[in-house]
Amino acid sequence: MSEMSAVIQVELPSGDKLAIVRWRFGHAGPGVPRVAIVAGIRGDAPEGIRVAHQVARALEDVEDRLIGVVDVYPCANPLGAHQGTRLWPFFDVDLNRLFPGKESGHQPDRVAHALTTDIRGATQVVELRGAREAFSEVIHAQVRERDSAAAELAMGANVAMVWTRKPGPAATQTFAHQFPGTIVLEGGTGNRLNNTVGQDLQEGVLHLLTQVGVLAEGDLPFHWAAMNRPVMVDDSKVFRVRAEQSGLFLPEFEVWSEVEAGETLGTVIDPESGMVHQTIQSPTTGRVMAVREHPVVYPGTMVARVVTL
Amino acid sequence: MSVIFSIDAPYRGRYELHRLTYGSGGPSVAIVAGLHGNELNSIHAVNMLNKMLRVQRPKGTVHLFPLVNTFGADQAQKRWPYDDQDINHAFPGDPDGSVVQRIAHAIFESSQADVCIDVHSGAPHVREIPQVRAPMGGEELELARSMRLPVVWRRPGIRLEPTGLIGAWRSAGRKALHIVGGRGITLDNRLATTMANGLSNLLGHLGICAQMDMGKMSVTADVTHAEVETHRAGCGGFFVAEVRVGDPVKPGHLLGYIQSPIGGERLDEVRAGRSGIVMTVRAYPMIHSQELLVRVAGT
Repeated sequence: MSEMSAVIQVELPSGDKLAIVRWRFGHAGPGVPRVAIVAGIRGDAPEGIRVAHQVARALEDVEDRLIGVVDVYPCANPLGAHQGTRLWPFFDVDLNRLFPGKESGHQPDRVAHALTTDIRGATQVVELRGAREAFSEVIHAQVRERDSAAAELAMGANVAMVWTRKPGPAATQTFAHQFPGTIVLEGGTGNRLNNTVGQDLQEGVLHLLTQVGVLAEGDLPFHWAAMNRPVMVDDSKVFRVRAEQSGLFLPEFEVWSEVEAGETLGTVIDPESGMVHQTIQSPTTGRVMAVREHPVVYPGTMVARVVTL
Repeated sequence: MSVIFSIDAPYRGRYELHRLTYGSGGPSVAIVAGLHGNELNSIHAVNMLNKMLRVQRPKGTVHLFPLVNTFGADQAQKRWPYDDQDINHAFPGDPDGSVVQRIAHAIFESSQADVCIDVHSGAPHVREIPQVRAPMGGEELELARSMRLPVVWRRPGIRLEPTGLIGAWRSAGRKALHIVGGRGITLDNRLATTMANGLSNLLGHLGICAQMDMGKMSVTADVTHAEVETHRAGCGGFFVAEVRVGDPVKPGHLLGYIQSPIGGERLDEVRAGRSGIVMTVRAYPMIHSQELLVRVAGT
């Protein structure tokens, strides 16, 4: 039977208790694989939380036949999720900049530490996110550059693309950086749910479990042949498109639609007069990977990502 | 006064980054305040220094940035309100990047000086005695002591990522210090005046201008990390402080207590373990377990 436990329980000043929950499926033991699935590190990514729960529900039906253990952490930042905010409320910090955390630190530091400690040693780690706030994004997997095994594995995650990324300046403090080979799955719309995205990500996670040998293919509630066949790209193929004028960005493309180099991605208009300040063109031929949904922009605000295929 | 950087803002006036420059030639000092829009003591301290500089003839150059994050200050927010980004995590910046990266780049490029000071208030939930707080030694330590703020804290554990202003300045080979005093969202005129005096003492030490405090201030505690006693909450609850920043304490002195937020039952007491002065006190009383309550700097 699946087992629910608290990775850490912290007390709120009012006396309330806040638990970071882990659902464990299967049976632990020496030499058996252990997969950790973590969602809700940021509170404005409900899609990941939804998918974690969907995966947990699917695993309940097949738990007796699992080979190894699947640990599902459906929400690492429950206070943020409660309010729909990216940051950990009150302390106003990004949990995804606190890893590996501190045992004797403040509340979010201790949560980061407890999660890191609990997950350490897992065979495979999957982080579930939604899209970043203000954006719609195609479903994709992100893995660390030069992590070729994880990149190959992610090709079976039912995503449109696998992006091998160079670590940024803050990478060492992120959750994914603590566990080499972590696959980050994201897509959909910031702070929103989308049934299709949720279904695709759920099936992608379950398929990953078959690839690492925890779940038998015959136990998948769908046929593996229905999986998306993603493309793999590195940073050189992904173009960040920014506004150069302030105003309202009005996109003219949907996510994952094809675009030619020089084609109009959208316009920036004056919020009062409606006059067009800027026409933003695609820097390359490819597909629109992400589109800004919240229209207010400044010079330098990212409005889209386009990927060359 | 010059506008170093500006950018159109939808639905409101342009954002402008202002720099006030006094004098010319060396030595040069750059002082930045208000990277965090809710840290009002830093803004007030630099504006007090500005008033003093107006009536002096500096022998050297002083660049003042009294308020970087004006939009955050308008809304009592630490971060840049549009995308909730911390400007102090965006250094050295990028002239083609996001808004905060562009602002950071403009500050970094226009604050080139021999000595660079980043001025802050404490977080909104704690009150800090005016202090210099950074890993430092050699000439930087001498500069820190020259301010004669109540506490000089050589804090090796503080993170100086290159994405922060101090880290970026130091990566570029500049002498850089961080001063902090009071609490966020609150103006404490007395503490801000002390910070302004400290900044003028630094300018005096460098031979740029006269010192405002007339030599009255002195460092009370000059401490390493090991000489700072940190008290954290043993349980969550409602913390009632019994001391204020700057109070001298001896071992056993009651620093405060934690009570139940409902009913007021006393749950725990916090007492000093050493002699010193109180340098940090929790100001917002609702506390989580393990949160900082009081720091005592050994004397």
